Amino acid sequence: MKNGFSVFLAVFIALGLSWCGFVLGSVKQLGTAKQAAVLNSSDTYPLQRTGNATLGSQVYRANGCAACHTEQVRQDGVVCDVVLTAAGKKPTVVSNLVSTLKLTGLTREEADAVSDKIAAAGGSVETHIVASGADIARGWGIRRSVAADYLYDHPVQLGSLRAGPDLANVGARFPDLNWQLVHLYAPQAVVKNSAMPPFRFLFEVRKINLGGASSPDALQFPKDFAPPAGCEVVPSPEAKQLAAYLLSLKADAPLYEAPFTPVMTKP
Amino acid sequence: MNPTETNHFSMSEVDASCRVPLLALFGGAALWLVAGLALSLAAIMTFHKPDMFADCPFLAYGRAQAAANDLLLYGFCIPAGLGVMLWIFSRLSQSELVLPLVPVVAANIWHLGVLVGTVAILIGDSTGFAWLEFPRGSSVLLFAAFLLIAVSAVATFGARRNRELYPSHWFLLAALFWFPWIYSTTNLFLITHHPVRGVAQAVIDSWFSNNLVFVWLALVGVGTAFYFLPKLAGRPLQSRYLALFAFWTLILFGAWCGVPQGAPLPAWMPAASAVASSFLIVPLIAIAVIACKTVCGANVTCKGGPFCYVKFGTAAFILSGLMLVASACPQISRATEFTWFGPAQAQLQILGFFAIVMCGAIYELLPRVMGFVLPFPKFVRLQHWLFMLGIVLWAGSLAVGGVEQGMKLNNPQTAFADSTAVALIFLRAGTTGLLLILLGSLLFAANVLAMTLKWKLALLKSLLAAVKAPLEAAPASASLRRDQEVKS
Amino acid sequence: MNDEAKSNCPTGTGGEPSATQSTVPMWIFIVTLLLLFVGAVYFDHHSGWFNAKVYSPYVSAEQLELYQPKSGAAAAAAQGKKVYETVCGICHGVDGMGKPNQAPPLAGSEWVTGGFHRLAQIPLNGLNGSLQVEGKDWNLNMAPMGANLSDADLAAVLTYIRTSWGNKAGAVSADDVKAVRAVVAGHPAISAAQLKDLPE
Repeated sequence: MKNGFSVFLAVFIALGLSWCGFVLGSVKQLGTAKQAAVLNSSDTYPLQRTGNATLGSQVYRANGCAACHTEQVRQDGVVCDVVLTAAGKKPTVVSNLVSTLKLTGLTREEADAVSDKIAAAGGSVETHIVASGADIARGWGIRRSVAADYLYDHPVQLGSLRAGPDLANVGARFPDLNWQLVHLYAPQAVVKNSAMPPFRFLFEVRKINLGGASSPDALQFPKDFAPPAGCEVVPSPEAKQLAAYLLSLKADAPLYEAPFTPVMTKP
Repeated sequence: MNPTETNHFSMSEVDASCRVPLLALFGGAALWLVAGLALSLAAIMTFHKPDMFADCPFLAYGRAQAAANDLLLYGFCIPAGLGVMLWIFSRLSQSELVLPLVPVVAANIWHLGVLVGTVAILIGDSTGFAWLEFPRGSSVLLFAAFLLIAVSAVATFGARRNRELYPSHWFLLAALFWFPWIYSTTNLFLITHHPVRGVAQAVIDSWFSNNLVFVWLALVGVGTAFYFLPKLAGRPLQSRYLALFAFWTLILFGAWCGVPQGAPLPAWMPAASAVASSFLIVPLIAIAVIACKTVCGANVTCKGGPFCYVKFGTAAFILSGLMLVASACPQISRATEFTWFGPAQAQLQILGFFAIVMCGAIYELLPRVMGFVLPFPKFVRLQHWLFMLGIVLWAGSLAVGGVEQGMKLNNPQTAFADSTAVALIFLRAGTTGLLLILLGSLLFAANVLAMTLKWKLALLKSLLAAVKAPLEAAPASASLRRDQEVKS
Repeated sequence: MNDEAKSNCPTGTGGEPSATQSTVPMWIFIVTLLLLFVGAVYFDHHSGWFNAKVYSPYVSAEQLELYQPKSGAAAAAAQGKKVYETVCGICHGVDGMGKPNQAPPLAGSEWVTGGFHRLAQIPLNGLNGSLQVEGKDWNLNMAPMGANLSDADLAAVLTYIRTSWGNKAGAVSADDVKAVRAVVAGHPAISAAQLKDLPE
């Protein structure tokens, strides 16, 4: 290369190509996205966070929670499960047929073939789409995370290290406000063998008012972890905001890009 | 030292012209290196004793780790790299540093920006983006300072008498153009009042992190290595065209790596990164071949001097590049994603490769620039062993621990707590390594600061002597007159 | 100072390093080309070709379409509700109670719970003229709001109105709608008077 200008040209080409691909491309494809439609429903997704939850995302950012926690669920594959909905006019024939067939963990083609067989025998079936993967098997999510999940986040804090569990659906896994607050104050109180540091600076330990009534905000602890007698632990506004944000973390709507069949959980 | 006088400037003049700018850059860099490593050590203590900073928000892991990473990268790596670059440009141009005051001012602005940024992170004002946690005010200072230094560097480059470019020129010049582009783009898209919406932020942040931590450090570090390896080995670089090939493949392919495989992005983005990362093997092989061919057969004994530093650093670069390639391969990333393997690769790149090459380069050039030997020459060899052992322990333990952690994470039957528990023993070993590196950095800072002090004292002495000289002549003549008066 | 300074034979002008001019070995080009080929194949198979909706583990838009949950009864009802609320509910009301001077009620309407052949023609061709619904007179014009809906969507919305708000009539399938559409395609809007005489 002959001179400084040709070096500049080389950089322009190399960095320009990747800038066009990842910066321009992602802004065009993802940066102008609008709400997505939930599959088989008239709802849109996601809903914007309000109030304490929005402020809580800033507390999450300020304390660098993304240094230990991720907010993204991965998916390794997708399978079909064939479910019998009605036995039809010949129940014994259908049940005999069903006992010989594999009904779970099928590809789409296999599932269609199995459904046709059962339908021909008179039964009616539904094919359920199920997302599969290690994160999903751990209960961290029901489908993979997609761009729509982060539409209203600023900053988007995907995280890159799992020194603690994934939080994409923590609002669905632990929907209790008190649990979230106690976990922030003393993680070992609610999660055995937790490696998480306590965030006591988000709370205040103080004497219960004369007259004995503890504050309505005071944390309720499990037996062995209660504060000394006569004291209560009260969350600061930041703690309440952070807990509200954590409770708002749910990514369980079926979308076109991450389809699955929602199944009613048994009460 | 270098005898030729056929040039416009003698080499000692060239070296001396770099003195003040380089001291401004390196002095701050040495301090930030120590501070960054100390903060890193404080952060990692959270894993050994989670209770330690429960009541102290400033040292909470999320804040301390982010601050430590940024201190190492922006506080040490970039100023040290720029300083070495300025010296290499003056040397290769055989010209004095052009506009020498500009880098001095810029260095002070840069260090101020780093200070402001670090304090901001610790008090909770971080931006939330990896490797970009400094808030907007700090970014503006850093950007302005970089541009100022780039002006001086480009002017020095332009003043060269031999118009043919040496391979280091390509790498170092490219780095000068690379940083302003990625830094300004990322700040404009992410840290403004109307940032880009949604997960595009994560893509741009990954693009930036890769282009800064991997590609920019590679450009400056390899450019420096391609200067010092032949110089210290006493052999020419093997070869010019292979270096050109390595340069082109590094920038073309390296710019596309960085998007993680499991990310919540349309499939083409992780796929493009995976493909680009596999292509990265080519420049890695090319650079390894160049380094080996240049170094092997040189009859130079190393003894823990700068040559050893640069050799080790180059080897560490190849290893860190291979780790990057591995972690982008989909089968492997399933086990290494979200584990300590990623931080291990980043630390190997920053400390194992870049910091070690820079320390070697600075130890080689600083005595020439200052005009006297290192105050603590034995520290060089001691620091060499501390750094090498330390980085093997630090990055090696994190890497192995990460793989172990990943295999447990991938198995949904094992409890999550098992994955953190298995990583703990490796974190302990790694912390020991980090401590060794911190001790080494103290030795480095001692040398740099002692040199600065010695130079300043010498400057003060000569200043005092210049002031005293006429005064000493005056009393002598006064007493002579008095004697004459007494006599008469 | 350093041993290296002594053994530092200047190799270029002024002691600066120089580079040899040896050529690049051919094998590195071959390795590069091989990698480029393998990479291109990988990208072809795994990238979904820049489609914004294709996320791994899906590899193409066709495969993603294949794995969309096709409607079960519950899904169809949800789809019908969605179509109704966007297309029909503006005039007929989200609660199916109709709006005066805009549209008659669907809840409890004999036209809705009667035969689906007759019902399907209303959204397919439109309706005008005076009609008695639940004992009240309605003299309005309805555009063929269902003409642009797919068979599945129209079937879903007809099923929805026949099974909601207390209506208890049978579902309508996409094939039924297809059959009706084939018969009445291109016919002008039917008048209310003609509606009574249509087969159910």
